[in-house]
Amino acid sequence: MSTHSSETLVVRGACPQDCPDTCAFLYHVEDGRLVEVTGDPDHPMTRGGLCVKLKNFAEHHYNPDRLLYPMKRVGPKGSGMFERISWDEALATIKSRWTDIIAEYGTQAIMPHAYLGHQGTLNGLTAGDAFFNRLGSTVAEKTYCESGSSTAWIMTVGPTGGMDVESLAVSKYIIVWGMNMLNTNLHGWPFVLKAKAAGAKIVVIDPVRTRTAKQADWHIRIRPGTDAALALGMMNVIISEDLYDHDYVEKYTLGFDQLKARAEEFPPERVSEITGIPVVDILTLAREYAGTQRSAIRQGVAVERSPGGGDAVRAITCLPALTGAWRYPGGGTIEMPIWEFPFKFDFMCRPDWIPPGTRVINELELGAALTGAMPLDPPIKSLFVYNSNPVSQAPGAGTIVEGLQREDLFMVCSELFITDTAKYADILLPATMQAEQLDIMVTWGHLYMHLNQPAIAPPGECVPNVELFRRLAKTMGFTDEHWDLDDWDMLRRCYDWDAPVMKGITLEALKEKGWMRLDVGLPDERTPHATGDFRTPSGKCEFASSLAAGGNFVVPVWRSGYEAMQPGTSVDPVPNYIPSVETMLPDGASAFPINLVSPKPHAFLNTQYANEPTQQRRQGEQIIVIHPMDAGPRSIEQGSYVRVFNERGAFEARAEVSEDVSPGLMMTNVGHWPGLNRSGTAVNSTTSTRHCNLGQAGTYSDNRVDVQRV
Amino acid sequence: MTHVVTDNCRGCRYTDCVASCPVACFHVNEVRVYIDPAVCIDCSACIPACPVHAIFEEFDLADDQQHWIRINAEAAQRYPVIRTRLAPLDGADARRQQLGL
Repeated sequence: MSTHSSETLVVRGACPQDCPDTCAFLYHVEDGRLVEVTGDPDHPMTRGGLCVKLKNFAEHHYNPDRLLYPMKRVGPKGSGMFERISWDEALATIKSRWTDIIAEYGTQAIMPHAYLGHQGTLNGLTAGDAFFNRLGSTVAEKTYCESGSSTAWIMTVGPTGGMDVESLAVSKYIIVWGMNMLNTNLHGWPFVLKAKAAGAKIVVIDPVRTRTAKQADWHIRIRPGTDAALALGMMNVIISEDLYDHDYVEKYTLGFDQLKARAEEFPPERVSEITGIPVVDILTLAREYAGTQRSAIRQGVAVERSPGGGDAVRAITCLPALTGAWRYPGGGTIEMPIWEFPFKFDFMCRPDWIPPGTRVINELELGAALTGAMPLDPPIKSLFVYNSNPVSQAPGAGTIVEGLQREDLFMVCSELFITDTAKYADILLPATMQAEQLDIMVTWGHLYMHLNQPAIAPPGECVPNVELFRRLAKTMGFTDEHWDLDDWDMLRRCYDWDAPVMKGITLEALKEKGWMRLDVGLPDERTPHATGDFRTPSGKCEFASSLAAGGNFVVPVWRSGYEAMQPGTSVDPVPNYIPSVETMLPDGASAFPINLVSPKPHAFLNTQYANEPTQQRRQGEQIIVIHPMDAGPRSIEQGSYVRVFNERGAFEARAEVSEDVSPGLMMTNVGHWPGLNRSGTAVNSTTSTRHCNLGQAGTYSDNRVDVQRV
Repeated sequence: MTHVVTDNCRGCRYTDCVASCPVACFHVNEVRVYIDPAVCIDCSACIPACPVHAIFEEFDLADDQQHWIRINAEAAQRYPVIRTRLAPLDGADARRQQLGL
């Protein structure tokens, strides 16, 4: 800050990215130009520092490749040949094409496709929901990430915020389960370090020896997709050795006898065979966890990314109720505290506008939906993509590309850049970046509200998503009051400002302070479930879930608020271990002998910033990490270029030969732009579109491949 | 990728960097600090914290400063982690003035 002149205007903002940290920004503006973005030193999470991903955030706004004007396609699909047009022409084209499609096929022939490319209340996950619900489009189920965990969490403890990440500072035993916090929850790590300095033991459960695993007191390598077996094995030990909290279990849980019976099926020897973890380690983990109060489990999203991932999250979420960890500050589990915020989803999404009987298509099945592999009547004739980049981020990328090449598919894409997905659009619409728009940021990793105030004017003709959908609504002739509300009006209506947790928080106060903590107690004192108070139908932690009777469901926030047309497939009331489809094949049963996991990159946020040369230098090119025992027989050496392939597709990468992975396991990162890779493809060319057992989440970690030197 | 502490730290050891580091990647000896490249997560929070501009992102190092990459990596193995700020060394302010900072 001190490096800038007194002419510098400082505007408060917040990070737009899909990350649990949601940092508090200070935008530094000189002569109308954003010169620097720094972290607020007073914010308890941000602590003055951002992260490697956001390091060039100010410059990112001025990237010369930014999409600044509406464009129309003038070459073959995917050629990237576009010509500037006016907003009027873009909107008129959309209206004309959609009117024709609706006349011939009906409104459900139109499908939106969005995710969390932006995490704002107005411009994020649900930005287009009200519009598309009003239009009567197909409802898109947005389950790229977290949906399986959400369903599992709500089935077990209800929509509670759970433990505060800041409470980790007073924990005595911390299990980081399926999360590389140093890469993806960096601002939570100082609380872990504080606990460690006070004597806490830090355990990391991860198939890969990540940066975070290297910093732990104990790294437990687990076979991907077997987390439920480990959690049930821990319960087996905890119950059979009578290490559980009888009083807590009796008063505040439901279905202990059923859970006990299930846990009996998972003795340590069996769990060891499933997970690859030595029996002694399972025993030690269970005994230490149950025997150390103020124990915390920081759950990562990786747990859900396997066919049994939903039940794994349920099983893990049962653990602190079994041991009574919820009684203590710094005890319990963190999954996603988003449920603590009083959003008014019904206002944001307007599910009341969805015509009864409207169908749902899952976004991870986009390729099948577009190519006809999924029988659809009517077919998808128009796709509207915003806040997402399925060609890179969705599984089964090859089929998606095939579908996007359809000449009869009218595709509109609102974007910052011409991404691997956007290049297939017929109409491109330019979106604003974070310093150019107003929003309240949604956060799923801490308990602060942040107001992001615009610091600079949007360049060219870029518009925030909220304005984009206002324009589309007016273009389509919608006259509801909703479309006349300005951003401030919308923010006032998007939250229940009178909710108890909002005590003292107002929009006016946020304008001045930038961020404010929900009134949910202090991190070193807070015990949200010391005496139960779970938000389940029974008010208890449900080891046997009463919601299971309704079958599998996606929490409505991930599906435009829509309650109907849920998957409804049968769900066991008690969490179980559901084996992965590909990972757990016996040796020799698959032509593809290696399991590939694809966690998030270090220097990119999914695909964002992966087109910035400075970030490319920091991240390096697409790599795979392969064990020497797998590399040797294939003549793969450190730095060799390799082709990774299976029956679904292939991509090329540079090999890093390392024992950070186990034999039979490889790791790569999702987020590299396929078009910037050597092969023009990336890891999701190889992933399958199967779903996790709950919430229709993806199973990116259940992916068998082979690899050869090129 | 990492960050490195260069020669300006020697004799100053202000350690403001340590307080800004979210991952405790600094190691300390009698005269200065070093960064462990296996732990540094490249966030750059330490760079503006250093009063003597000793810290650089690896690829911003001048050609004649490249040797600091190896020195930091090796020294980090030898010296203990420092998690909290220490008082600057005697003579730190004088050295800072000598450095023109």
